[in-house]
Amino acid sequence: MTATISTTYEQDAKCVCSFLSEYASLLFSCGATCIRLEKNVSRIAVKMGMKTDIAIMPRHIHLMVTDPACGDTFTSVTTIRPHPVSYEIITRLSRLSWEIADGDKSLDDARDYFQKIADTPPANPDAVLTLASLANAAFCRLFGGDAIAMLTVFIATFAGFYLKQVMTKRKIDIRLTVVACSFVSAVLASADSLFNLGTTPGIAIGTSVLYLVPGIVFINSFCDMLDGHYICAISRFFDATILTCCLSAGLCAGMMLMRTGMF
Amino acid sequence: MLIQFLQDALFSAIAAIGFSAISNPPRRAIPVCALIAATGHSLRFLLMQTGFLQLHIVTASTIAAALIGTLAVIISPKTKIPAETYLYPSLLPMIPGIYAYRTFGAMVMCLYQDGESGFNHYFHLFATNGMTCFFILLGMAVGATLPMFLMKDISFQATRHNTGTPG
Repeated sequence: MTATISTTYEQDAKCVCSFLSEYASLLFSCGATCIRLEKNVSRIAVKMGMKTDIAIMPRHIHLMVTDPACGDTFTSVTTIRPHPVSYEIITRLSRLSWEIADGDKSLDDARDYFQKIADTPPANPDAVLTLASLANAAFCRLFGGDAIAMLTVFIATFAGFYLKQVMTKRKIDIRLTVVACSFVSAVLASADSLFNLGTTPGIAIGTSVLYLVPGIVFINSFCDMLDGHYICAISRFFDATILTCCLSAGLCAGMMLMRTGMF
Repeated sequence: MLIQFLQDALFSAIAAIGFSAISNPPRRAIPVCALIAATGHSLRFLLMQTGFLQLHIVTASTIAAALIGTLAVIISPKTKIPAETYLYPSLLPMIPGIYAYRTFGAMVMCLYQDGESGFNHYFHLFATNGMTCFFILLGMAVGATLPMFLMKDISFQATRHNTGTPG
């Protein structure tokens, strides 16, 4: 990707490169698609009067900034650090790119504001836990589950999601986390079938692990593919597939332990 | 049918609210996610009804996902939030979880079969559920993301406050 040059005010290429690499890394790690990353970075660079070339790899972002006025070129390779998906941060970073492009913020102001965005606290974990459990219970109803199945799914999701929050906080490997959470949710959801509580036990078990489906990664993978970023698309697709396999392994183990039939 | 329709809209809205919370969206995006999800899921419900268009679940999901994608792109500049924020939570209620579950279950049951007929039965379940699940997902992905690419100018200017000059 190469941005066109329209010099409005001069900035040091090194400073711009340093800022853009941090900006791109945070944007990507929060779950932005490649096309958004390219557009935002290019928008800022054009305003700074720089030319940028960017290579987005699954774990690194390779950025080259050239100052056409003096010919200085700076290259930066930034590692993408794991970060929970945050559309709040993506929204604020995109807005920042427009504020720079429209001349509302200088690079120094943008730097300060960027730090504030990076320090955005995550949403209240208790609220997310409750809402996700309610969502999965509603999901169960959409698939035709009865009230007992909905209650079972709520409890199974609550326990599984709480475990996910604890394991994520302790920085335990995401794949292991998904296996464990899926296992716990499947075991708890098996109660409907085990004690003959309701009429739709299969739906309860099937729905209980759906909160672990890596949907955003799948959608981003498809967006990257449409935009021709095949390496990122394939990488995201494999990440999502591995997590789905972990989810299935946990579900299978839980069902085998509880001797719950699938059909 | 009206009650079923309203129930469908209500539960898909609740599901969208919960799943949008997981992806840390701006707070004002949450009710919009609920609205888009309810509209998309209700449309799919209607399209599949006997006596209406009675479409196959794959076709209905693709059309509903296209509506979700279009609404997300159209609403995003008004709320100054990127369209992607609305996509995932709104699509989620349409994810073919039960088909995926049955596919997986049938695959496991295949492994436990000694006889050919038992294996064939479960392999048939595996293939039919798996294909349905795959094509629903594919249709949803295509339907939801295409509007974003077809309306790039709107999609990637959504967060701009000063819209006086084109960019």
